[in-house]
Amino acid sequence: MKGKAAGFILAFCVTLFAFADVPVRKEEFIYSILAFNGRDYSGTFAREEADTIYLIAGVDNFLTAKKTFVYFWPITGEWRTDTQGLDQEMSGTLEVYSDKEQPVKLTPEKYTYYNVRGVYELNWNVAKGKEADKVRSHYEDLVDEYWKAISEYYNKRAEYESRLDKITGEITERRKRGEDVTSLLEELKTMKPPARPQPPEEYTVPPVPVKSGFIINLPVGEYRIRFLTPDGFIMQGSEKKIVVFEKRREGGIGYEIIPGDKWTRPSESKTPHSVLYVDGTTDLYLRPFYQDEFNDLYYEKMRRNDSRGNPNLMKWVRMQQVPEARIEMSPMDGNITTVTEEPFYVEQVQGASLGYRIVPFDAEGKHEGREPSIRAFHIPIERERGVLKISLFDREGKQILSGKRQIRVIPGAGFKTGLFLLAFVPLLVMGVVLFFRRKRYSD
Amino acid sequence: MNLRIHAARVIARRKTLETVLNPGFYIAQTAGLLLGYILITGFTGAIDSSGFSFELNPVYDFVGRAMVGAFGRTFVDKLFSEGPFLLALYISFLPSFFYLSINSVFRFSFEKKVGAIELISYGPADGTSCFLASYVKDILLTLLTIAILFIYFAVAAFNNNIVLGSRFLYSVPLILFTSSALYAYGILAAVATDNAVSAISLYMGIVIFFLIILMGTFSIVSGYVSTLSGVFTRIAGWLSPLFYWNLSLTGVESGKAGFFITGIVILSVLTGIVLFASHLIVGVKGVRK
Amino acid sequence: MIKTRGLVKKYGSFTAVDGVDLNIPTGEIYGLLGPNGAGKTSTIMMLLGIVKPTRGDIFLFGEPYNPKRLDLRKRIGVVPENHPHGMWSWMTAYEYLEMFAELFEVKDKERRIEKLLSQVRLSEVINKKIGEFSRGMLQKLSFVRALLHDPDILFLDEPISGLDPLGIKQIRDLILEENREGRTIFISSHLLSEMEKICHRVAIISRGRLMAEDRMESLLNNLSRERKILIDLESIPSELPDEVKRLSYVLDCRGDGNTLVITVPREGDYRKGLSEFLIKKNLIPLSIKEQMVSLEEAFVTITKENVEMLAAMGESR
Ligand SMILES: Nc1ncnc2c1ncn2[C@@H]1O[C@H](COP(=O)(O)OP(=O)(O)O)[C@@H](O)[C@H]1O
Ligand SMILES: [Mg+2]
Repeated sequence: MKGKAAGFILAFCVTLFAFADVPVRKEEFIYSILAFNGRDYSGTFAREEADTIYLIAGVDNFLTAKKTFVYFWPITGEWRTDTQGLDQEMSGTLEVYSDKEQPVKLTPEKYTYYNVRGVYELNWNVAKGKEADKVRSHYEDLVDEYWKAISEYYNKRAEYESRLDKITGEITERRKRGEDVTSLLEELKTMKPPARPQPPEEYTVPPVPVKSGFIINLPVGEYRIRFLTPDGFIMQGSEKKIVVFEKRREGGIGYEIIPGDKWTRPSESKTPHSVLYVDGTTDLYLRPFYQDEFNDLYYEKMRRNDSRGNPNLMKWVRMQQVPEARIEMSPMDGNITTVTEEPFYVEQVQGASLGYRIVPFDAEGKHEGREPSIRAFHIPIERERGVLKISLFDREGKQILSGKRQIRVIPGAGFKTGLFLLAFVPLLVMGVVLFFRRKRYSD
Repeated sequence: MNLRIHAARVIARRKTLETVLNPGFYIAQTAGLLLGYILITGFTGAIDSSGFSFELNPVYDFVGRAMVGAFGRTFVDKLFSEGPFLLALYISFLPSFFYLSINSVFRFSFEKKVGAIELISYGPADGTSCFLASYVKDILLTLLTIAILFIYFAVAAFNNNIVLGSRFLYSVPLILFTSSALYAYGILAAVATDNAVSAISLYMGIVIFFLIILMGTFSIVSGYVSTLSGVFTRIAGWLSPLFYWNLSLTGVESGKAGFFITGIVILSVLTGIVLFASHLIVGVKGVRK
Repeated sequence: MIKTRGLVKKYGSFTAVDGVDLNIPTGEIYGLLGPNGAGKTSTIMMLLGIVKPTRGDIFLFGEPYNPKRLDLRKRIGVVPENHPHGMWSWMTAYEYLEMFAELFEVKDKERRIEKLLSQVRLSEVINKKIGEFSRGMLQKLSFVRALLHDPDILFLDEPISGLDPLGIKQIRDLILEENREGRTIFISSHLLSEMEKICHRVAIISRGRLMAEDRMESLLNNLSRERKILIDLESIPSELPDEVKRLSYVLDCRGDGNTLVITVPREGDYRKGLSEFLIKKNLIPLSIKEQMVSLEEAFVTITKENVEMLAAMGESR
């Protein structure tokens, strides 16, 4: 690991020295990939040397054929594109071969994708062709309307404020003159500021600007693709394998665990077997989410084509929050308590020890006008050693079995010396055995 | 057959006693427990308010980085998801395992060379009785080792409020069956060669071969080892006990008890086949010289 | 009890045993004699089923021999040429013998071990580590081990080589005693002088070939071309040996204390003529004995042509 890092650094320095700050760029044919990863769309690209593209089965993924500059960025150890220098989309057709079926010829299609707001987070839709334009223009209309409403709002607001100034000015003046101000006060009381218009709430992710690309939606399997230029030539470096895979299991429950003192460093707990060990110094804030299980290598490569993964391991991938859930905690004393999701606010701790503190969100009080930092389940941790069992219930009140967890507080000091000495018991036994053995020889 | 088994029992008792009277066995046990101690205390030392993160302990940081580099983050996360005992079990088992298996390979070769096996074969026994005795001894002492480790870890777990973990518990029988097949390979190496040095070289060669296959299975580093491993796996992956060990453990992880049982059954069959092959080789090569 | 027909053992192209026919009768002490490298151990190993014969048949206890018959091995006791005791040096003598007693499923093993150990006068060291045993003690321990299960036949491969005279005598007594109890004993040795004192029947092997096989006396008689006559006198005048030599049938003569040692041809009885010659000289023979030719001398006769072998014998003495 370290050797490799050192190697990279050395290679990097040499590169710096030789090319004075400019990494080697090569013009290459690439597939720019927008792959649906189960949660959202993530972009990556397959450079000429890459032989395989990884995609999830049964979802729309978007490929574009491009010429661009590609270079290796040694600091992060990844390949990047330089689209500033060159970003030329290629027109042509994409041929997809499989062992079983006839090759399919694809031509670029217009598309957009968007996520609609709902109880669950993931409500992804893809619109293609004319529909894409329609969806996008609907959204643009909404945005236009919103902007219109906003400018109207500002006009009204200005009107309101000038009227307010006027009234208050008149009141002071009339008072000075000793006149009656009742009618003006009446007006002041009934005056209301104009309501600020809400941005369109239909989407959590609004439709992206309509683009054009090859839409690939394949069942599980292995395929080969190649790109043909309009005059029918096979593009050099365009022949690749596509591995289409699916999740092995779904609907697992993972927890994001936020310690009270380090809210920037959450960790995740993936399976009911996994135990959460803590030192008991702060409370925990849990955020349960649904997760799906994928092949480690396939998933990593789908997200970033030049990354590495383990082909023989499966891993759980976070998908979306469990909405309107409920957690039951049973500590060792057996008194079950129910916890619900609450909003919290992260306050900066004043003074010498910089840090954060998570406090309940006080909408009417000191946090008025702000948004809560997190919504989570607050799990108080007792300092004395113990086991806390957690079960999760969904919005219908049904228990989700894979949401079970154990939280264990490890004792600070423990029994280290004893454990250390215990390791020498075999030697003690050896002494005894050999002593008796020697006695046996002598008599 | 009966006489052969009887002889194996008689000799196994002596071999067990002999090992138990040897300081090496106890030193290996203590070495294993100390490794366990380091891993357990390292684990508890790497826990803070947000849970376990290996960067917090120097030992774990070193091991963890190396493993992330070689096998990826997912592998390491899974390894420690229940606590330190899964890794500790395998690591702590190694000193005793290598002590027992190398000792057996060496002893068997040496006994063959000096004529001890021949002497026993003048009686109602043969080379097979002798290697079976050696195998039985290894199994008995492996059981003892596992029991010692189990007790030690149970104490440590109780004391630090850590769970042993389901994969640890499944590993307890699994480690026995896996090492059993490896002991059988040790016997094969000893009967197939004519002196102790080549027997141990062959045995270590076999073990390293299996390890490369296994490492390759988990490796995320594309390169020499994984290419080699890929070739090895295709040719001889099915010969490796570690292959079935992995099958079983993967079964446990994905909640498929069937895979676990299948792995154990195959490991037993593999042990039987390797022992039978050794039996045939002893029959052909004889026990003299 | 044991018979072999045309037994051959080749190690690669080298023939260690070359067509050996043995016939070992029940209840006898049978000696397989020959110099080092003659093929004795190879022969025994084939009889024990440890080494596979290249050719030939073996009949053990009247049956064609099958080395897989482990049960037959319970009727055999073996004291091998080399003792790998080092392997068990951590055991006490008792533990060592107990292991073999269990292997052979000996009944009442404790009593049996104690009895045999006292027979070879090793009772004292029953709880001593065998790693601390002397070579003679180990040899005796090996005997005890071979006898634990009361075998029908005892194979002894070079049982006395490397032992001091006292050790040799103890082992010889043990062999004779075991034989008196009716046990068949098969001994291989290159130390011929010792064997002629105990063997009833011998086979002489050289370079893998059986040179002779017969009862002891007839072997000696048949094979010697000359004989010695020993005559005790009151005193021997100095010129007497030379005078005797001049007799036509006397091949050699010398004085040995008060005994006149006269070598004569194998055939014919010269005792009468010799005593008449002495009486004529006024010397009175106190006794006249004919000396049997020693096995060693017979052996030399048989294999005289082999100079290398003689050298080997000289070395081993
Ligand atoms: N395993 C073997 N491989 C090759 N040659 C052997 C082997 N065992 C014995 N020999 C050779 O066979 C000959 C007879 O050996 P052996 O039977 O031990 O003789 P003896 O017991 O009469 O001294 C010797 O020349 C010896 O070197
Ligand atoms: Mg010999």
